Amino acid sequence: MPSTQFKYVGKPLPRLDAADKVTGKAVYIADLDIPGAWVAGVLRSPVPAGRLKGIARDPAFDWSTVTVAIAADIPGINAVHMIRDDFIALVDEKITYNSQALALVAAPDEATLAAALAALTPDIEAVEPALTIEDSLAVKSRVWGDDNVMDDFRVNLGDVEKGFAEADIIVEHTYRTPLQEHIYLENCGMAAWPTPDGVEVAGSLQCPHYVHNALAMALDIHTDNIKVKQTVTGGAFGGKEDYPSVMAVWVGLLAKLSGHPVKLLYDRAEDMLVTPKRHPSKVIHKLGFKKDGTITAAEVDLYLDGGACTSMSKVVLARAILHSTGAYKVPHAKLRARAMATNTPPNGAFRGFGAPQAIYAIERQMDFAARALGMDPCAIRMKNVLRKGDAFPFGQVLEDGASAALILEDVVKRSDFLKKHSAYANQPEDIRVRMGVGLSLCMHGGGFTGAGEDKMGTTVEVEYLPNGNVEVLSGSTEMGQGTDTMLPMYVAEILQMPLERVSHPLPDTSRAPNSGPTAASRTAMFVGRAAVEAGENLLAKLMDYLGEKNGVRPDDYRDGVFYAGGKEAAKLDDVAKEWLMKRGRLAARGMVHPDTRYTWDEEKFHGTAYKGYSWLAQVLEAEVDLDTYEIRPKKATVSSEVGRAINPIQVDGQMAGGVLQSYGMGYMEDLTVGPDGKFSAHQLNAYLIPTTLDAPDFDVKVFEDPSPFGAFGAKGIGELSCDGGAPAVAGVVDNACGVYATEAPITGEKLFTMMQAKEEAEAGQ
Amino acid sequence: MKIEMTVNGEKRTVKTTPLARLLDVIRDDMNLKGCKEGCGEGECGACSIILNGRLVNACMVPAIQASGADIETIEGLGEEDRLDPLQQAFIDEGAVHCGFCTPGMIMAARCLLEDNAKPSRLEIKTALSGNLCRCTGYDRIVSAVSKAVDDGYRPAKSGGGKKASPEFEGDEKDRYFSPASLAEALDILAKKPDILLLSGNTDIGPEMKEGKLKPIAAMDIFTIPELKRIRRDGDVIRIGACTTNTDIMESDLVRDLLPALYQASCSCAAPAIRNRATIGGNCCTASGAADLPGALFALGAKARVVSKKGERIMEAPEFIKAYRKPDLQPGEILAELIIPIPPKNAYQRFFKRGSRAALTLSRVSLAVYVELEDGVVTACRAAAGSMSPTPIRLPKLEATLIGKKLDKICIECAVDTVYNELTPRKSAVYRKNLSSNLVRRFLESLIKENEKN
Repeated sequence: MPSTQFKYVGKPLPRLDAADKVTGKAVYIADLDIPGAWVAGVLRSPVPAGRLKGIARDPAFDWSTVTVAIAADIPGINAVHMIRDDFIALVDEKITYNSQALALVAAPDEATLAAALAALTPDIEAVEPALTIEDSLAVKSRVWGDDNVMDDFRVNLGDVEKGFAEADIIVEHTYRTPLQEHIYLENCGMAAWPTPDGVEVAGSLQCPHYVHNALAMALDIHTDNIKVKQTVTGGAFGGKEDYPSVMAVWVGLLAKLSGHPVKLLYDRAEDMLVTPKRHPSKVIHKLGFKKDGTITAAEVDLYLDGGACTSMSKVVLARAILHSTGAYKVPHAKLRARAMATNTPPNGAFRGFGAPQAIYAIERQMDFAARALGMDPCAIRMKNVLRKGDAFPFGQVLEDGASAALILEDVVKRSDFLKKHSAYANQPEDIRVRMGVGLSLCMHGGGFTGAGEDKMGTTVEVEYLPNGNVEVLSGSTEMGQGTDTMLPMYVAEILQMPLERVSHPLPDTSRAPNSGPTAASRTAMFVGRAAVEAGENLLAKLMDYLGEKNGVRPDDYRDGVFYAGGKEAAKLDDVAKEWLMKRGRLAARGMVHPDTRYTWDEEKFHGTAYKGYSWLAQVLEAEVDLDTYEIRPKKATVSSEVGRAINPIQVDGQMAGGVLQSYGMGYMEDLTVGPDGKFSAHQLNAYLIPTTLDAPDFDVKVFEDPSPFGAFGAKGIGELSCDGGAPAVAGVVDNACGVYATEAPITGEKLFTMMQAKEEAEAGQ
Repeated sequence: MKIEMTVNGEKRTVKTTPLARLLDVIRDDMNLKGCKEGCGEGECGACSIILNGRLVNACMVPAIQASGADIETIEGLGEEDRLDPLQQAFIDEGAVHCGFCTPGMIMAARCLLEDNAKPSRLEIKTALSGNLCRCTGYDRIVSAVSKAVDDGYRPAKSGGGKKASPEFEGDEKDRYFSPASLAEALDILAKKPDILLLSGNTDIGPEMKEGKLKPIAAMDIFTIPELKRIRRDGDVIRIGACTTNTDIMESDLVRDLLPALYQASCSCAAPAIRNRATIGGNCCTASGAADLPGALFALGAKARVVSKKGERIMEAPEFIKAYRKPDLQPGEILAELIIPIPPKNAYQRFFKRGSRAALTLSRVSLAVYVELEDGVVTACRAAAGSMSPTPIRLPKLEATLIGKKLDKICIECAVDTVYNELTPRKSAVYRKNLSSNLVRRFLESLIKENEKN
């Protein structure tokens, strides 16, 4: 169905939360006035690995003025509930990363808090840490299990030996991508209120039901006695998926122990030093090619640095391996991916979730192969692109929305890539400020990997309120991406009522059903389906009611009016109000139902990994200054196919935002771990993200091929835009300078080193 | 202390402490929560407000400096049912996502449009370059500002404030001062030689936040008229120590006669910081990473320090004698920088290589000044920043160039010389290379320019 048939879906509508945000009225956690609140702080490990022998309390300090919590004070299980319950809430004995929480303090004011934290002295016996993937593989320190391998996945297809034997050339390189920090503009923050039987928590978060369940397990409180509310959230990008559960357990514990409301608001330094980052990766990628550019086989050995515990690593790793051959057809494949534990803060979710690391490797491979075969970067991609009826290495046949070739062709045409690529490759040697174009192609599987969506039980409720307005209730959160406008658009479309009467309030777990985490680019696609069904069920409920009342069930509903046999039966508002008078609350739920037509074998990593893939091709044109070793993005041309663009203006912004984030990863955002296991930056002048003047002009074109699996044909878009920017940056440098990066980011120092190596090689010839 | 301000057109009196951050005064004392804290160090722009007609980061302004100020915050623009057209443009163009940068972004845009009715896309991007957004990629934000302009949005200029001394209370009277004249400031300084001098606060603000600096006494000198002016005096230009980078950028004298200094000011951070950071502060910080000293060194500037007892005038490099140690005796204050007006045959250039296009510290900075007669270098001064604990002159480079005809051989000689002259500690080869590339770039451009003339 074309968008023209819809009243709201597919229209570039202003956001429902925008007025609050442009007037400064939106209440973020730091804006919340909490009378009588105590402030919390965390005593952290200064070493990356060791044994906590005790914590000395300075007797000169009056400990009666504060509340201190240590591991022994946790009433439930000393772990923050995630995929595996290995994220320790407070160190009992074994220290596995720098900044790990040893003790918590709550105090009536900041000064007392600072004094109390200074009066606590941990007694630590430090041991040798494992800080890198290599350290971890060599078991320099036992961080996790016996061998530090937290997860190990394999995908096998056909016979790689045979595939490589058929190849004319083999392209093999080792690629690395760095830590990346989210830099959501609003730092993490959480507050808790003690209640007689439980606790209430509010804060900046992505997944209220994750927080809810974490509180239940660690604090041993019945889930009915917990309430988690989201405050307006100033960006997350995955960074507030797991970590808010940690902070909630801490403030919840302190609130229960102290009897006061307690808040913990990170400043930028603390946020940067202790919260999860994007997993660094090392990918050994081997591809065989025929002379004409056809891929004959792929062998991939992929490692993610998971940090000290699982957190999200298991699922990040699954997505990484499944995206490791990119948007290309591979007849034989042997893929392996391991999440390694290191003595660094646990890495977690970050927009793209393993895909950007995998896409970096495969897209660089395609550029290297193109050069080796004397092809242009577009031709080699076009030769191998997955088309309808082709299968991924994990056996999934691409049936609908096979748009890779379409968007690749479009972006190359619109950006004039081929002409520019050829011209820039032939710039005179002595030109110091050089131009380059880089091309990349990627896809992103929408929703959870494998059977995740079938098992989730995603539920949304639609409630008709006595004031005539409708609320969509779900645990899905607005963090900037547009949920609070999109879900009401869906429901307004179904109920055929003015959008201004429909809203999606900030989730409150005592009221909103569990629609699953706001992650995996799943909200528009899957949560939307539950919202649509909830709307339809509300209508059905009222039709049943009219049927019982009038003896004839309406058979049609249009523009707020029910019809039976072509005649008006009742107006929705009238019958809803009648229901409210006679029967009370009027609400209906919708769900995402398990779909048994498609299967996923978790053991063999085989089957339908994702219900819908969205696609993105981009061409970045940039200047590379060989006097200053600076890369300056000028123009980004983006072509994408996203199923249906539910709110095109929002999609456009998401595209530019994600793409710019991935350019940051490509050349600017530079974060490492020091010998003490501490991140190299804790300030925004040391970890830099792009400013307005670093951003290119964007030309974004969105194609639509509605997905049969997503609400109104939607597929995931949130992460897609972040998957392919870093290799496009590297492609620019290939083209402009004739040096070929295998590592992101291409900082000035790295570009200089590559140029020097090139000059030395040329001098040696 | 008690201070009176005009906030969004209303008189407000607040009791606070002199060094409290204006951000906290606005958020906590005045309950205007639209002003957000994203970093507390002037690095994100979330707390952007208009102070006396200029964009500032509220986290960088101590309350003592807000006495008598005119302040505009997001709350002064419009409410939901009567939005300001700029707010409406942000909504209509999809420029609002998570919303956390939005109030600051709108204030930055408004401040631009108060002064520039028809900005180009680049001018808009430059005006917003100190305001980070992680959601939108900025494209829709820039479009929103353009749309407001196209729709005829012309905001009235915000008030310029009227400096008033705060009403200090109790022992504050002995510890905090807000003098109206230089003479008054010198009197206070004679009695309290250790007092912290507050100017733009962009360097010591972050230090106070990190707890590295805990001043117990301070004197605000930011708006003292004698310290805040640029004037031509015979064959020199005198720039008061509390002149901001923005003042420098807006001065025709500087732009026409001292382009290297103009370029250095333009490359400093972003507008809200440039509106606060002063030339004197940049010198007194005495840090290798500072940008303006390099330009001043190359321009042959002198520093004039004054005290109750009199004055001393010295070469700028002598003033910045060691890391964090300017040559200031007890009771002395840096009053002005005195820069000779270059002759017509002079060429000058300042280069900065940070780690991104705006709001960045220099990895390398270089300032070069050359006088040419018939293609021969007759005078040269060069300076480098970020290479050593303080910015340094490059005497070997200067000696290599002086008296030489500017040609390819001379340039390569200069490039080699500067490469060997610099001894940076970190990333040495990279930064030596980069600096020598810039010397080549400058000298080659001179040949080209000279050929044209």
